[in-house]
Amino acid sequence: MRQSLWLSLLFVAASSISLGITYYVAHGAQRQAIEQSLTQDMAGFRATPSAAALAALVNAETRETDPQRRLLSYRRPGGRVVAGNAAIMQQQEGFRVVALGPEPVEISGRFISLSEYIHGGLLTVAQSAKPLDDLRQTFLWVFLFSLLPATALAMLGGVLLARRSARSLRGIERTLSALTSGDLGARVPESGQTHGDISRIGRSVNRMAQAQQQATEALRQVSADIAHDLKTPIQRVAVQLARLQEVPDLPQEAQVLADKALEETRGITSTFQALLQIAQLEDGTPRSRFEAVDLCEVAATFAEIYGPAAEEQNRTLSLSLPDAPVTVTGDRALLGQLLANLIENALRHTPEGTAISLSLRRDGAAAVLCVRDHGPGIPEAERQKVLRRLYRLERSRTTPGSGLGLSLVAAIASLHGAGLHLSDAKPGLRAEVKFAF
Amino acid sequence: MEGLDFNRLTPSIQICNVRRAAFGSISGTVETREKALKILVIEDDATTGPYVQAGLREEGHTADLVTDGREGLLQATAADYDVLIIDRMLPGLDGLSLIKTLRGAGVRTPAIMLTALSGVNDRIEGLEAGADDYLVKPFAFGELAARVAALARRPGLQEQETVLRAGDLEMDLIRRKVIRADQEIELLPREFRLLEHLLRRKGRVQTRTMLLEAVWDISFDPQTNVVETHISRLRAKVDKPFDSELIETVRGAGYRIAG
Repeated sequence: MRQSLWLSLLFVAASSISLGITYYVAHGAQRQAIEQSLTQDMAGFRATPSAAALAALVNAETRETDPQRRLLSYRRPGGRVVAGNAAIMQQQEGFRVVALGPEPVEISGRFISLSEYIHGGLLTVAQSAKPLDDLRQTFLWVFLFSLLPATALAMLGGVLLARRSARSLRGIERTLSALTSGDLGARVPESGQTHGDISRIGRSVNRMAQAQQQATEALRQVSADIAHDLKTPIQRVAVQLARLQEVPDLPQEAQVLADKALEETRGITSTFQALLQIAQLEDGTPRSRFEAVDLCEVAATFAEIYGPAAEEQNRTLSLSLPDAPVTVTGDRALLGQLLANLIENALRHTPEGTAISLSLRRDGAAAVLCVRDHGPGIPEAERQKVLRRLYRLERSRTTPGSGLGLSLVAAIASLHGAGLHLSDAKPGLRAEVKFAF
Repeated sequence: MEGLDFNRLTPSIQICNVRRAAFGSISGTVETREKALKILVIEDDATTGPYVQAGLREEGHTADLVTDGREGLLQATAADYDVLIIDRMLPGLDGLSLIKTLRGAGVRTPAIMLTALSGVNDRIEGLEAGADDYLVKPFAFGELAARVAALARRPGLQEQETVLRAGDLEMDLIRRKVIRADQEIELLPREFRLLEHLLRRKGRVQTRTMLLEAVWDISFDPQTNVVETHISRLRAKVDKPFDSELIETVRGAGYRIAG
């Protein structure tokens, strides 16, 4: 929009300058013509032999001359006009011209004059500058009737073009933000116009989106294939183990082993599932299903779900919520899983009997979901590492778990544009997830 | 009840919608034997397919097995089945397209999808395609059997019962009261829902994951024994003070209130 205005302005300026130069040249030529004619006149008058002859000549010419167009005045040193059709008096701010005739008429307008003392008297020859004025008028009209409409047209066209570009650009912008928020099917709308930089960019964006979609699709396909090819055998193992358990008169020992092996298959699956889920979260696809979620409700639900489990370990699980609902845009199931993982992390890695507190608070323009325990915490040097996939603290190697819980929390938080922050609660670990509104 | 005060908490807890349409209410009539179902299993895996088929037959159902998607589609439209069990990845025609085609053709037979894919979107995609339930591999047979039984019950819903009974226990859904052997039992809202869910499906096994989905609206698998702890709380109130146990544990499968 601004660009088009600048362009129109530039166009006006350039046209004005060229028109101005043309005017200047034409004006100069016209003036020169008038001046030359005056010089020639003067030369003719100068050729007269005496003052009387000059006066006679002036008078003769006067008869044929319209005082509106040409002035002649010859006066003696005393000031009296002896011949001519006008009395020219110099006044404070210019000249006063009175046409001499039966009725003295005051003449207005611009004149170009040439004066010279000939035979003791001052002869002034002047020609109306009306042609110059006419020229100026003509140029003004030319300016008004050609440049102004052209300018208006240019501006209008510019504005229309700019709006159209802006629309196309908005389309591209919308598409890009849809793409980044996980809607890989988003495309820049095809405009009727096939040329132009913007539609070229639009097509490039579409090609890029297409490639990205194909790549994601391929990745999904690979993940799905891996999932299928690995889970199907795991399923078979589970099936064989279940059959084994049904064998009549199976020794107790074998029964226990089959149970353990079945439990292992479940462990393998859940690790595997978490890895696949993290990969899926990282490609951003779930964002296309976001909706408004009340974090208070999620926190209350999960505090309630884990309450009895905490109590069984002689812990207190306390909950502190703000009075008003805290609504964020997200996936309720994933947010629940985030909270569940943080609570389970605390349940698993802190000694029985220690308290866990769950809180939600508003912090300026953010909502902070916090799970705090009273366990040994995580050494500062390790806090970033625990967010890595499959990373486990030395002391946690013997506790059950896949080492993916916190990575999954981090992935879910980042999908929601939230930050996960681990800090020392002295004692214990404080895990905070900060959602910006 | 230290620390977490549920009485203070619960008013803010809304009764969540179960993502899957509510299971049918089961009438209070005593029904000890399950109706034999006619089930079509569409599964290409040479181990899982026959295993599922054999398991279902053992339960007294009729089970047909097909290993190709196209063939499965033909079979499902040709014969009248009570439940379809469809693997998501099939040769010929994949499970999603198969269900979409079936639903497009107006076949409304309840279908459960078996899959190796467990992402949030995979699950939603499956349900959106028209599957009624979604079970991630590897699964225990008990889980599948319980879900098949639940699905087969969906059509022909019984009228909404307002008083549910089991043994000497009576649950009044309108007055929100539970009475056993003439004693009133105080339950928290979520315990009430859990008991109601089990009572409505009297005689039928409810697995941990089915309870998580129906009572808490959770579709992922928690690593902590949350269902067990809630059940044991419920038992402490409903069973412990009395002579007999109403809530049974079914080994390797889940929980059930005997019908």
